[in-house]
Amino acid sequence: MILDTRPAAPPRPSPPRRRRRRTPRTWVRGGGLTTLVFLLPMLVVFTLFSWLPIGQAVVMSFQETNLVSAATFVGLDNFRDVLSDPLLWTAVGNTLWFALLALLFGYPLPLLAAVLMSEVRRFRGVYSALAYLPVVIPPVVAVLLWKFFYDASPTGVFNTLLGAVGIGPVPWLQDAGIAMPALVIEATWAAAGGTVIIYLAALTGVAPELYEAAEIDGASVWRKVWHVTLPRLRGVLLVTFILQIIGTAQVFLEPFLFTGGGPANSTTTILLLIYNYAFANSLGGDYGAATALSIMLAAVLAIFSVIYFRVTRAWSAS
Amino acid sequence: MSRGVLSQSDWRTPRVRRTARTLHVVLLALLFVAGVGPMLWLAKAAVTPTQDTLRQPLSLWPNGFDFANLATAWTRVEIDKYFLNTVAIAAGAWLVQLLVATTAGYALSVLRPRYRKVLTGVILATLFVPAVVLLVPLYLTVVDAKLINTFWAVWLPAGANAFNILLVQRFFDNLPREVFEAATVDGAGSYRLFWSVVLPMSRPILGVVSVFAVIAAWKDFLWPLLVLPDPDLQPLSVRLPALQRFVELDVFLAALAISTVIPVALFLVFQRLFLKSGALEGAVKG
Amino acid sequence: MRSSKSIALLATFATVAIALTACSSAADAGDDGRVTVKVSIDPGLEKGAVDAFNDRVEQFEKANPKIDLEVQEYNWAATTFTAQLAGGTLPNVFTVPFTDGRGLVERKQVADISAQVAELPYAKDFNPNIAEAGMSPEAKMWAVPIAAYGQALHYNRALFTQAGLDPNDPPSTWDEVRTAARQIAQRTGQAGYAQMTSGNTGGWILTTVDYAYGGRTERVTGDKAEATIDTPEMASVLKDMKDMRWSDNSMGANFLYDWGTINQDFAAGRIGMYVSGGGNYGQLVTQNGIKAADYGVTALPLTDDKNAGVLGGGTLAVVSANSDDATKAAAVKWIDFYYMEKLTDHDAAVQDAKTLAESNAPVGSPALPVFDKATYDKTLEWTAEYVNVPLKQMTPYTDNMFDQPLLTEPSRSTQEVYALLDPVVQTVLTDRAADIKSLLAKAEADAQALLDRN
Repeated sequence: MILDTRPAAPPRPSPPRRRRRRTPRTWVRGGGLTTLVFLLPMLVVFTLFSWLPIGQAVVMSFQETNLVSAATFVGLDNFRDVLSDPLLWTAVGNTLWFALLALLFGYPLPLLAAVLMSEVRRFRGVYSALAYLPVVIPPVVAVLLWKFFYDASPTGVFNTLLGAVGIGPVPWLQDAGIAMPALVIEATWAAAGGTVIIYLAALTGVAPELYEAAEIDGASVWRKVWHVTLPRLRGVLLVTFILQIIGTAQVFLEPFLFTGGGPANSTTTILLLIYNYAFANSLGGDYGAATALSIMLAAVLAIFSVIYFRVTRAWSAS
Repeated sequence: MSRGVLSQSDWRTPRVRRTARTLHVVLLALLFVAGVGPMLWLAKAAVTPTQDTLRQPLSLWPNGFDFANLATAWTRVEIDKYFLNTVAIAAGAWLVQLLVATTAGYALSVLRPRYRKVLTGVILATLFVPAVVLLVPLYLTVVDAKLINTFWAVWLPAGANAFNILLVQRFFDNLPREVFEAATVDGAGSYRLFWSVVLPMSRPILGVVSVFAVIAAWKDFLWPLLVLPDPDLQPLSVRLPALQRFVELDVFLAALAISTVIPVALFLVFQRLFLKSGALEGAVKG
Repeated sequence: MRSSKSIALLATFATVAIALTACSSAADAGDDGRVTVKVSIDPGLEKGAVDAFNDRVEQFEKANPKIDLEVQEYNWAATTFTAQLAGGTLPNVFTVPFTDGRGLVERKQVADISAQVAELPYAKDFNPNIAEAGMSPEAKMWAVPIAAYGQALHYNRALFTQAGLDPNDPPSTWDEVRTAARQIAQRTGQAGYAQMTSGNTGGWILTTVDYAYGGRTERVTGDKAEATIDTPEMASVLKDMKDMRWSDNSMGANFLYDWGTINQDFAAGRIGMYVSGGGNYGQLVTQNGIKAADYGVTALPLTDDKNAGVLGGGTLAVVSANSDDATKAAAVKWIDFYYMEKLTDHDAAVQDAKTLAESNAPVGSPALPVFDKATYDKTLEWTAEYVNVPLKQMTPYTDNMFDQPLLTEPSRSTQEVYALLDPVVQTVLTDRAADIKSLLAKAEADAQALLDRN
């Protein structure tokens, strides 16, 4: 047989077979070569552009590389240099702050919207389309547009709107305290639609019988939401939470295009710092420091994910 | 009959009905302002002269239109060139991703080599590695391979997408094996089976993978910024921020507006596909 | 046999792969002595400027039939330079500012063209201060200075008039700058004075103003370099800026400016005055479409301090490090033809000016002499009839620029020190409670650590 047509269902018990010697010839005859041909594109692309680079990242974090001379092994120097860079702790703080703000704004809001939208009986498509529209706008265009909205003069777009209700001009990106929240607002605007759609899909998957059972017990609307809807959504909620954390930990576009890390490094995130180490360095790029920091970030995220899954599994079990 | 939290009797209660209706209207209004508002403003600003946009950003053409902005954006700013670059990048990335995902998915799901578990594991493992780790070494790989300033530098790495393979493989797993059996009995080899049987049956998943691929390529910023330093090759996402320094505000906003037309138009036409993909993303990751 | 199909496919893959690698590694062999030189042009230029450049390319190719020129849009950027160098995608000839050029020469990331340059007729006539910018540590010229400038104060004549100030009598002291800024802000609502703050330009302009107040940011004695950022001069620079920003509110509301964005806002009429390179008018026209009548420039105000001076800068033409000898020779010829000839030779100067003027590109923006003042004056005479920039509006600068002491930028870790001064400026301008003393103390400590490390 050239291909395996056994269904993915539970295997039938197979009759005892004569043991076959596996030689290159039987492998070829058995279709091994064909399989290899089909796997070739994936193997080539993944080896060159995924597996090898991951390995190289680890190796490079222990080397000093610039493209002009050969790489030299420097042990833990890169890690030491990165950890002693005062800007690193600023970047870590900023990234955590961004992640926290993004959670506060961007995590409950889509859920609320999705719950409301799931009750809409007519024209739900309109709601979905409107919610998803910001996600479709290319992020660069969105950031450049919002950058203009955030103009700090009294005739900036947002300041004009606020001025109409009597609120004084807000410095937006020009103030170290407001710049980060401003970034989070735009980032939430751009991404919330996707989360709404995901929640909506999960909500419509909640079996009506569960609600009916609750109603028989005399549950009010609030109780139904609390005792039926949210528990059924738990899986999706937990996954979107961790995905959001991993995503916001790597935020780059908004700080880069809105403020370049300013004012006074208040929006410099870890990714921006990695970029600066590797690419904004006029001496030719400190690739060792950049990879060292990337590895450290990846390690932290990995540890966090492991802890997260352990803890949430404990909750799910209870 | 599908229902949500509210039952029929809930809807009949005046208080519940009123609250729900009000909330829905408020939500719709907010969604409209947040979703469409910025786009409408951009469309307006695209045909407004600079001084008006700067001094009275919210008023509607106090001094008349400036349609020349659009023409200037298209010609002097050469939006058409960057737009075509974006299309070329998206097309190439899409092809590479389809090729890699379908062939790998077919091999793992249908051909089922002995080592498939190991291979699947190694592929999935890459999903757990944050993109940041790849940035620098992938960049140096591309530099060494002298692919800088070529579209291959963007197309090829796009193919290393484990998520696509996962999606396609799952889909193939769920295809009815009887069809394959029948085809094999009729004398189809692996290649024939792939091309004439499996692929035609896979249109739904190919549609989803295509949407993901095209959207990802369209949005990509940092990677093309790094590997396409030649302005002639840059896609819109990379060129627009750089252009801002050279170009007057009104022309720049017109350029931004033009850049949104295609993605928004595609979305409005293929709404269901987009929304389904968005939902699928969450479902699969769950 | 089914497997024969697989074998055939694998064989095809292999051949294609080998062919591709073979293709890419085959060197472009020069045939019949023709040399191709990739020359750079600024991206984002107006059509007139692009046409003017292409005309010059044609003229060169006619005069040098064995040399083919390819035009490539290129802007020197630290982010991508080393990668492009390693990837071989740099043009053969391109320009870099003085500050960055020094580092490139030191790290041998540009080609050694000193032999070819030494053969040029004017090789010994460079103004020594200016020539130093392109010298290797062995005092060989690896990079050719093609333009020099000093910092100046640019101002918007229209805003001056609107604010009730005389556009023909711009400020000549920092107190006058402050008063003018206040008046512009009050009467027109636009920023009276603005300053660059990001992408290392914050440190660059801060250093400029520091020099104008008589301070220095670095003191080099022999091999040791000492950071001198926390000085009374620098403190008064920051204090004056703080006062303008918070007490007078004359610096507008947007502060995250770099070189390109401040030019843009200035050209759009949102800024009354700002400090930048003296010859900026050219860029303002070609890249930002400024209205000629609105433009004015005056000499950078200097305090009475005996050390006060104007920070100088300039542009170097370099040849990329991976050019072979034939290309280097051809590249130097192009540098001579396009960048240098017009500075010394009558016909070349006239031809260049004529071509630029015909395509409506700016001719006559103020610059400092690369050779000496006499040569410079001569070129001005030769090209007088083609000048299309509003020279009369620039007299406050051109009348005074030679009288001001010209100083070179700090030589050690220049860009890195600029980078850590950026947040200092940004903090002063965005945080009302900024503590100048502690900001300066920290900046000096960080800069010293940087200088010690390098």
